[in-house]
Amino acid sequence: MLTLALPTGDLRGPVAAALAAGGLACSPYADGSRSLRLSLEGRDDVALRVFREKDIPIQVALGNYDFGICSAAWVEELQSRFPYDDVTVLRPLGFGRHQLVAAAAPETLQRLGPLRSWSGVRGLRIVSEFPGIAERFARRMRFARYSIHSVWGAAEAYPPEDADLAILAVKDPSDVLAHGLEPLVTLLDASAWLIAGRRGLAGRDLGAVIGRLLAMAAPAVPPGTLALPRASQLESRLAPAAGREREGVRLAVPDGHAQRHTFAALAAAGLTFDGYGEKSYVRRPASGIDGLEVKVIRPQDMPQQVALGNFDLAITGRDWLLDHLFAFPASPVAEALDLQRSRYGIAAAVSEDVPATTLAEALGWWRGQGHTAIRVASEYPNIADHFARLRHLGRYQVIPVNGASEAFVPEDSEILIEGTETGSSFRANRLKKVDHVFDSTNCVITRTSGIDGPRRRLVEQLVTRFRDGLDG
Amino acid sequence: MTAAVELLRGRGMRDLLPEDMTRFRRIERAFRDELLGWGYQEVRTPTIEWLHLFTSAGTLSPHLLDRVYSFLDWDGWSGERVVLRPDTTIPAARVYAEHFTDEPAKLFYVQNIFRFAQGDEPRELWQCGAEVYGHTWPAGDIELMAAGRRVLQRLGLGDVRVRLSHTGVLRALLARAGFAPDEQAERYDRILDGDLSVTQEILGRLPDVRAPLDLLFTVTGTDAGYLSNLRAVFAEAVPGMAPALDELDLVARALAATGCPFDISMTLARDFEYYTGPIFRFALSDGSDAGGGGRYDSLVHRTAGSAVPACGFGLAMEHVMARMPEIEPERGPVVLVQPAAVSAEAAGLALSVASELQAAGFCAELVGSRRHPACRWTLTVDPARGAARYVLHDVQSGGDLGAASMDLVLAALGRGQC
Repeated sequence: MLTLALPTGDLRGPVAAALAAGGLACSPYADGSRSLRLSLEGRDDVALRVFREKDIPIQVALGNYDFGICSAAWVEELQSRFPYDDVTVLRPLGFGRHQLVAAAAPETLQRLGPLRSWSGVRGLRIVSEFPGIAERFARRMRFARYSIHSVWGAAEAYPPEDADLAILAVKDPSDVLAHGLEPLVTLLDASAWLIAGRRGLAGRDLGAVIGRLLAMAAPAVPPGTLALPRASQLESRLAPAAGREREGVRLAVPDGHAQRHTFAALAAAGLTFDGYGEKSYVRRPASGIDGLEVKVIRPQDMPQQVALGNFDLAITGRDWLLDHLFAFPASPVAEALDLQRSRYGIAAAVSEDVPATTLAEALGWWRGQGHTAIRVASEYPNIADHFARLRHLGRYQVIPVNGASEAFVPEDSEILIEGTETGSSFRANRLKKVDHVFDSTNCVITRTSGIDGPRRRLVEQLVTRFRDGLDG
Repeated sequence: MTAAVELLRGRGMRDLLPEDMTRFRRIERAFRDELLGWGYQEVRTPTIEWLHLFTSAGTLSPHLLDRVYSFLDWDGWSGERVVLRPDTTIPAARVYAEHFTDEPAKLFYVQNIFRFAQGDEPRELWQCGAEVYGHTWPAGDIELMAAGRRVLQRLGLGDVRVRLSHTGVLRALLARAGFAPDEQAERYDRILDGDLSVTQEILGRLPDVRAPLDLLFTVTGTDAGYLSNLRAVFAEAVPGMAPALDELDLVARALAATGCPFDISMTLARDFEYYTGPIFRFALSDGSDAGGGGRYDSLVHRTAGSAVPACGFGLAMEHVMARMPEIEPERGPVVLVQPAAVSAEAAGLALSVASELQAAGFCAELVGSRRHPACRWTLTVDPARGAARYVLHDVQSGGDLGAASMDLVLAALGRGQC
């Protein structure tokens, strides 16, 4: 069986069209389709699976899939973190063009000068969805001291208050300007890539598909590999990046699925922010409260941002707080109040085909089947890691997942750690729950140290208002 | 059995087995004795350091920086990474800057470093290193060369040749050709890789240089006269070379005066980013490289902000271990002491006898172990038998000796026969 990993999201349409033109029509795979397992028309020797783009190079590198199609940026990200991985680029596909741009706010450039003079600046904060590329960029630039803030998304929201530099994926540099940032250097200008695993190419006959894939209709374009600039200034100025003292309180509220519940919790507390509704938002809503600044960021990124001191409090899920705390147990962030909304259980699920009703039975069965390592897939890699240790899984692999996770079991992992409200999604994907990990609801999280005086009082007042909203 | 062990051991990780440890400790002892004799003090730095110590320009080269083991610590929510020590010189410079105020300060250490290597190549390496901080040119450099060479000689590695170089020579050439400092490092590495297109690139930028660049890239000098020749050839075209050639000349003549064999090559060391002055390597009689060092006058400033010149060297312990001649066991002959009966009194006597033998330089054990060299002697102790309280048996010859006192036993062991 040959295996091909295809992307979800915006690339579905052009990928489906290119495959069809190459005689590899598959269904149901097009804009808007939700199926995660597909088949090729007239071919039962090829299995197709839909992943979030970010997961595709990882799956190909692991050897779970022979081929994959995804944006070049995610391949470069994997190869930046693991330069010796097993992925090779077969060809650029021409569509899905994107750029990786290093950008900064005008006030940062005014303070630090042009990028070429940043080598000696100590304490630079770099934010990106691409932490591996950001790390390589920082090293190549010979930044004297820096921190990489890895975020799930909305990296453009962080400069200038919460980051000095952002590395962003955009379709065009003008997108950077639209965020109020200045593009400084383009690190990558590329399209979607067709990739393959080196081991598969070296040791298996993939000829039945490889010719068709290479024949996919796509314009001939150069691959456009990552181009990191070099530091051109060796003398260090050893200057601090910024003084970041502030007087006001900063609150982070979420976008995405959690927005509706957060809006309701705010309303119950008598808080309405101009620019933050049930379904729509602006990045920096107006709080209408003296000394309170509000920003919209991803809920996954909030615990770290609060720990860093960029925000004093935030509204996020307990799942994301615990995932952060399992990675950084001493992190100065804690749950201040359970808002009791957006409730779901975090559970361990296995395939319905595993003859077991408990995790212990499942482990025994897999061992009997000769499994040497148990693969645990999850959007919460640190919770999964903690779970594996706590439950004595023995030798295990945590496979970080960025979405479309239900279809990982059984082909690509034995266990899935996932949030489930009613269990219907598990059932639809032929999964069954074998362990309950914990219950998650949305909650107010605060920094446990470093907030004093009037800021502390305002934080406490806000938490009290949320509590009163609950009681009401 | 072997396959199972390979599965359990991390890739690129090596166990040091008893024979390896005997060699390891022998090197460590020779190194410590030599360096203590020159007035150095021993330190040990932590296994985990901040990554930023190694990222500034002029610290770790990009080539090595791409192979460090870095990660976010359990309290690394700030996004600032830590690293498993990938180098010993930079942490030692930090130790100096944080704990020492005197000049000169002379430190040495024996510790491991971690660098990624492909396949089964070792990823954990051990180094013996020494550093001198303060304005010690040229005595510090010469002292380090002498100490390093003598350590290798103490270990029976024969005549050790010193290979000399100076980063300033090629830096001056590349700077004269208009390359920025980071470009200089990249071109330098390409020259070492034998990429002769760099020569053409330099000549393209310096049409007025008529001197043969091969003299720098492919010729190895065996006498200080080689430096005079370089000076004569390049004095006009690359005047920036002169200070480096003068420094190298001083070191070369000092070595010549002590009868130390040496050669001179301008393409000697990779990853030279933090070196600012003369570089030296130690070549063993088989031509292999046992380690080396050099002068790095900017590193302390880059690491900790205080401008203190320094120089140092390190020996690659695995390389030296593999080339050391056969070595004698660390302890004297092995005696297995066994009580004649299971009783508290007999066990107590056996214990005191073992202690007495150990104090006399023997290896005495109550529990026999299978190892090399095999146990030659057994000593049976029986407190109930006065005249034959001690019975010494020579496993090799089969002879026995009954004795009422340990003096007779020790005398027989000293003679090597019952």
